[in-house]
Formats: sequence, structure tokens, C-alpha cells
Amino acid sequence: MTTDRFEDLLRSTLKAETEAAADRIADLEDRVILEIEERSPKLLWHEWLRQLLAPTTGSRIGQLLVVGATAAVFLFVGMGISSNLLRNNASPRLSLQPVRAADGTQEVLFVLPAMDAENVAVVGSFNSWEETQLSDQDGDGIWTASIPLSPGRYEYAFLIDGRWWGQDPLADEYVQSFGEFSSVRYIGRGGDEV
Amino acid sequence: MYRAQDEVSLLRASLQGDTSAWGEIISRYKDAVFGLCLGFLRNRADAEDLSHDAFIRAYVNLRKYNLDRKFSTWLFTIAANLCRNKLRYRRNHPTGEMPLHLQGGKDPAKVIDKEDQHAQIQQALTQLPYSYRAPLVLRFYNDLSYREISEVLSIPEGTIKTRIHRGKIMLKELIEKERDPA
Repeated sequence: MTTDRFEDLLRSTLKAETEAAADRIADLEDRVILEIEERSPKLLWHEWLRQLLAPTTGSRIGQLLVVGATAAVFLFVGMGISSNLLRNNASPRLSLQPVRAADGTQEVLFVLPAMDAENVAVVGSFNSWEETQLSDQDGDGIWTASIPLSPGRYEYAFLIDGRWWGQDPLADEYVQSFGEFSSVRYIGRGGDEV
Repeated sequence: MYRAQDEVSLLRASLQGDTSAWGEIISRYKDAVFGLCLGFLRNRADAEDLSHDAFIRAYVNLRKYNLDRKFSTWLFTIAANLCRNKLRYRRNHPTGEMPLHLQGGKDPAKVIDKEDQHAQIQQALTQLPYSYRAPLVLRFYNDLSYREISEVLSIPEGTIKTRIHRGKIMLKELIEKERDPA
């Protein structure tokens, strides 16, 4: 069989198997839209603020009361957090060493420097390869997430703006599968034993 | 009503919360995304679930989409990542699901019919390693260029060319082996 003939056959096979199952996606639009509409809309902070401050036909005093009350709540919570941080200053929780609970579960810190990234997530055998987002709250390009893990061996990789990044410098070892590297950490009886 | 509109207008409307505009985007791309997932995963139920998830995830992350980038490539990247994660999950949680070439539709006896070339290729695709199958599906179902495939799979373009070339040879070998097991 010539290459062109084989490529045509491959094209028609892939097309035919999709067409044979097309009934499964007949109402995909409706199902996706229904799920989107069922999810509560999440407003970004500036959209929320803009809505709060938008001109209305109601009383401006009422709006100011809402803003004032919100500011007071933020101030109260902020003071609580800062006093708590000062109390715990001698033993900060942010550590590369896992923090172990009584049942053997450990809070394992995943850290990745990604200066220009907009989104960093970790996927692995501990979250069924579903994304857990890392955060970079101070904007210094160091992304972190703390995940409770029971003792065992875990394969994982980072997704930097959707791109696979399988070689974590903090991993115990690397494995190669599906043509790419993944990282491995041992929790409890392995490399993270402390 | 959206038929005449260009894709960028639909995406902008979707970003403003217009779900009917997003519905039009789904209509335009659902066959491509479903075919990608089916080709990668070789299972209809999983392909259906992941096509659904891909459009949800794309909508939720639409703010991160850069208009300079081709939308289809961005959408296929999301679908491909979901498929890859599903395959990793399957490797750790084997279920003994029926492979695609035996899932409904056709008489199972026909699958081993040596004249049924589609069935033979389907069976060979199921046996082909994912790292070779994925570039073949993107090339011959989604009609992507080598550069676009490289972008979707985050693999260098040279590696993609090698895998497509090697993948075709492996497919032919698998078909020959099936025809003549001895």
C-alpha cells in the first residue's frame, strides 16, 4: 500500500469512527451551557467593586455604609491575621519539610519558580491527574501549593500555562511515560522521611 | 443568528457572559474536539465526558486566551491535556473497558474480517502507544500542521515529524501482524 493511500485510509477511519459516535455529542452545546449557567458567576474583585460603586437611583448614604462596613471587616480580619503571624513568628509554617499529622498525613509543599506564568497547577496520582492550582500571592514568580498526602509514592508534574513541566527540582526521582518526564515523591517511608 | 459572525466576535461575546455565543463556538468545534478525544482515548464514553469538560474549562479560562493565538490550537491544547491526564489516571486505575473497535455499532465478527480496513486500522490505533497515536490523530483527523501539533502537545517539531513517520510504520506493522499472526 502506498503512503498516500495509507494516509487517506487513516483519515477516513478516524472520520468514520467519530461519525459513528456522533449521537453522543448531539446536544453537547445544551449540556455545557446548562452547567455553565448552574455555576454561580464569580466576579473579579474590580468588577465587584465597580458594581458596588456604580451610580444607582437609591441612597448614596446606603452605599457608603456598605463600603464602610466592608472596610471595617477587612481591617478587623487583617489585624487578626497579622497578630497571629507575629505570635507564630518563631516557627513559620511555610517550610519545604512536610508537616506530619497524627494519622501520618503530611502537608507537602509544591514549589515552582515561573516568573512570567499566568497560571501554574500541579497534576498527579494524588489528585487523579486533575489540576490543583498553585498560587503566587506576592507576585514574586514563586508559585506554591500545600497538599495533604498520606504515606506513599506519588507521580506528578506541573502545568505552566497549560504546558507540561515534569522535572521538579525537589522530586525524589523522575520517570518517563507517554514520551514525557514526570516527577516522583515518596512520602512517609521514602525521600521525605524526616 | 451567529452564523455570519466571525470567531473573535463570538469569543468576545462569550467573555461578556453570552452563553449562546459560546454555544455557537461549541457547535463549530465539537466534532473536532470529540474526534481528538476519541482518537486519543479510544473510548466513546470517556471522549464524550472529556469533550464536555474541555468546553467548560475553555469557557472558565477564556480570559487567559490570547487573541493572537489561533483559538482552535488553544482549545485542542486544553482537550489534549485532559486526555493525557485521563490516560495517566487509567494507567493507575485499570477498569478492563472494551476497546473502541469492539464498542457497539458493528458485528464483532466483522472486526476480524481481513477486508475491513477501517476496523483493522482502528484496532491498530488502539494498540499504538499514545505518544505516537496523538500526533497521528492531530495530523490526520484535525489536519494540524507540524508546528501546531508541536504547540498542542508541547513537544519539539522535529520530534513530531519523527513520531508521525514512525507511527505510520508501526501502524502498518500492527496491521500486517494482525493479518498474518505467524
